[in-house]
Amino acid sequence: MRGDRYMMIKQFLFVLVTLVGAPIVGGLLFGIDRKITARMQGRYGPPIIQPFYDFFKLLGKEHIAVSKLQFVWIYGYLVFMIASLIFLVMKSDFLLLVFLLGFAGVCLVLGGFSTKSPYAHFGANRELMQILAYEPVLLLLAIAIYAQNGSFLISEIFIQDKPLLFTLWPLFLAVLYVLTIKMRKSPFDISTSHHGHQEIVKGVTTEYSGPYFALFHLAEWYEIILLLGIISLFWTNPLWVGILIALAAFLLELLIDNITARMTVGWMVRLSWSVGLILGIINIAYIYYTKGVS
Amino acid sequence: MAIAILLPVAAGFLVLAVRNYYVRNIIVIATAIVLIANSILLSLRGPFTYTPGGFDWGLLITILDYAILIFYLYVGISLRNWLVLIFALTQILPLAYFEFVMKAHIEVAPAFVVDHLALVMTMVISIIGSLICIFALRYMYDHEHHANIEKSRQSRFLFWLVLFLGAMNGLVFANNLVWLYFFWEVTTLCSFQLISHDRTKEAIHNAARAVWMNSTGGTAFILAIIYLYATQGGSSALSVQSLISGGIQSSVAVLPIALLCYTGFTKAAQMPFQSWLLGAMVAPTPVSALLHSSTMVKAGVYLVLRLAPAYAGTYLSVIIAIAGAFTFFATSALAISQSTGKRVLAYSTIANLGLIIACAGINTPLSIAAAILLIIFHAISKGLLFLCAGTIEHQIWSRDIEDMEGLAAKAPLTTLITAVGILSMFLPPFGMLLGKWIALEAAYTVPLAAVLFVLASTLTIVFWTKWLGRLLQVLPKIERPFEKLSLSYSVPLWTLLAGIFVVGIGVGPIYQNFLRAATNDVISGNQIIALGLNNLILTTPSFMQRDILGLFPVWPLYLILIVALLLPLLLIGLKPTELRPVYMCGEQTGGTDTDEWLAEADRKTKFQLGGYYYQSTLGEKRVNPWANAIAILLLVIMLGCGVIVI
Repeated sequence: MRGDRYMMIKQFLFVLVTLVGAPIVGGLLFGIDRKITARMQGRYGPPIIQPFYDFFKLLGKEHIAVSKLQFVWIYGYLVFMIASLIFLVMKSDFLLLVFLLGFAGVCLVLGGFSTKSPYAHFGANRELMQILAYEPVLLLLAIAIYAQNGSFLISEIFIQDKPLLFTLWPLFLAVLYVLTIKMRKSPFDISTSHHGHQEIVKGVTTEYSGPYFALFHLAEWYEIILLLGIISLFWTNPLWVGILIALAAFLLELLIDNITARMTVGWMVRLSWSVGLILGIINIAYIYYTKGVS
Repeated sequence: MAIAILLPVAAGFLVLAVRNYYVRNIIVIATAIVLIANSILLSLRGPFTYTPGGFDWGLLITILDYAILIFYLYVGISLRNWLVLIFALTQILPLAYFEFVMKAHIEVAPAFVVDHLALVMTMVISIIGSLICIFALRYMYDHEHHANIEKSRQSRFLFWLVLFLGAMNGLVFANNLVWLYFFWEVTTLCSFQLISHDRTKEAIHNAARAVWMNSTGGTAFILAIIYLYATQGGSSALSVQSLISGGIQSSVAVLPIALLCYTGFTKAAQMPFQSWLLGAMVAPTPVSALLHSSTMVKAGVYLVLRLAPAYAGTYLSVIIAIAGAFTFFATSALAISQSTGKRVLAYSTIANLGLIIACAGINTPLSIAAAILLIIFHAISKGLLFLCAGTIEHQIWSRDIEDMEGLAAKAPLTTLITAVGILSMFLPPFGMLLGKWIALEAAYTVPLAAVLFVLASTLTIVFWTKWLGRLLQVLPKIERPFEKLSLSYSVPLWTLLAGIFVVGIGVGPIYQNFLRAATNDVISGNQIIALGLNNLILTTPSFMQRDILGLFPVWPLYLILIVALLLPLLLIGLKPTELRPVYMCGEQTGGTDTDEWLAEADRKTKFQLGGYYYQSTLGEKRVNPWANAIAILLLVIMLGCGVIVI
């Protein structure tokens, strides 16, 4: 009994630390991103804690409303993002985590749709296509994990001696690709981007401003930690290897962002549904081939 | 039990006779209440068997069988629709051969076996079906007023609607295959009458298609009956219970099982038969609601699910899983290209039925439980969505999603209910997703099905989100008072909405107390027969001891939903001073709530937004030939499985 309670308190504290710590680390990562990107482009770049300056400045700005529902959905986006992160740190069900992440994505899309703004609609439609591009890869990853471990549980991954990366490396490649889509970086800065692009302005986030835009940033910080956390699942014993892999993946994304141009939505979906899915399906087929069905 | 079948029939005739709008309403409402109460009482009482006596019911059913088939002959000849005619003949001739040449003597006891699955089905049919009938009262009134119809045909409509419920109840109770076939034909007949109700050319054409497609299923059904009778030694084989109990030598029984599954596929509008259900959309919306949620198509999945133990462990089972999963995938893709609300709903229904059938084909205790959960949740959510579609239709007099643009501004209450209905179809923590989650876990034995599930559920997100997005688009404004809805609309809507949450949140206890028994009944048909049919004591060993929900934290997830969406919805208030127009590069004209801007040469122009439908990649013209070809191939393999085993 006592041990149970001790475990519960420990887990609760762990969740609490994640809730507070994730945005700090996430914000710093975005600061590093801006710095490195600037250096790659021969600029000096802003200080690493610039994202926090921006965040607090946005919080202090006046409320501007285009529609109420827009705000409801941005809260939904944030809360479901946090919920999926909690699922990750509690080592819960991976499949459900992906579904919750999907709900977060749907909230962002609906936020874009709930105004009569052409730019927000552009962004929302494209964001929806991004979901179409990355969701199946993540779900296939869940199935592959099930095929490998016989369970969707993340805690089960931690028990295994052999890292997932050895058997799931094709899906690892596909997940790297998902990371680029989710970070909305070139070549996939399609639905919105960190720099304004003329034809979509700020895409799905065009109509968010002030404190609500700050919420969007907060959600993005949670998101990057969640995604890097998913990548680190590929090597959980010891976990620091996984985290190093995730950080390397992050740096790789920055490089890709700076050396590629943005592509179209159609190209993204086609690439994901051909290369990404084939990688995933071959991977799963291989696991079944080696382990045998059921 | 007699109430569940015969009351709707009696009420139907009463409604047909009464011409007064109010009296008719009272009869329908009273019938609905009795049916609902009756189904709950039956479920509380638990499983039982019954054989009606005192009257030659078998003879009556035979006569009515012929009456229905002769009516189809008449329909085929009068419409010059040769397909209807041919498939009526392919039913009537074998039936006559069976009765007069083979001189079949049918004695199946008990005639009705009501186990837990049948009880679940009758709850779904009676409760959701009754609510739809109540909705139809006002809907048909408005419908005729809008169309300026001189002579009211509401009585006739309600007659078939109420009769449908009785036939469905009979169908899920029947153990005697010949009786099951009769109820099967009655549902086909009801659907024909209801689809063709508006008497337009299109309506009659589509109704005829529904008949001939379902008649191919009926033909397969009769062939299965004859085959069983001839090879298994008489009428004792013509019982659902003996089929699923494995009391027959299983190697010989695969062909009739495959035929019966084919019959289930036609009724559940699985690819390549999806066109009849899509065509059925021309009917008034309560018909669609009834066909899609609690009756008709659910009869198809019921039969496939019921027979699950009969084909367990065969290749047939794997093929059924793959065929169902393929339908789930292909129709989800097709739904993206649809711009008519009801067609999106229809494709989504077919997709989910595919998922349920795939679960039956996967054929593990877990997948069977998923199938039953999906049947229930799908019936509630889809019933609600069709009623929403009907309500929207009577507010904007259109079914086009593009016309629903900005419905949140015109009819906020309807939009809110529709939004919850749509979210409940594909997102956590709602029941449909729970079912999908269990199904994915169960699907590991058929990896191909698992991959198709994944692709399909992603496509599902796209079409639902796209549609919901069209409803939500509004201009900046503070007050949006809820619109008033007629009681006949709002009672079913609110009840179903509450049902989503009650069943969704309470799924754990509901499963433990009720659905686990149903799952066991499906899996273990043989246990029942071993205990003696007339004395149906359910001491069947529980295969499904484990907690179905596993690590699906229902309560916390609903809490997250409340924090994420409900609280912001209630707590965020806007002040008029905060309102701003949307960003239009500074080219707006007028106040915050105008959608005009200065286009070229400073002309004032309203800006317009539209949805994407990806016709060139996912349009029916492009996808159908391929998808139908694959589906037909799968069907051929499915029937082939039955033949080759012999």
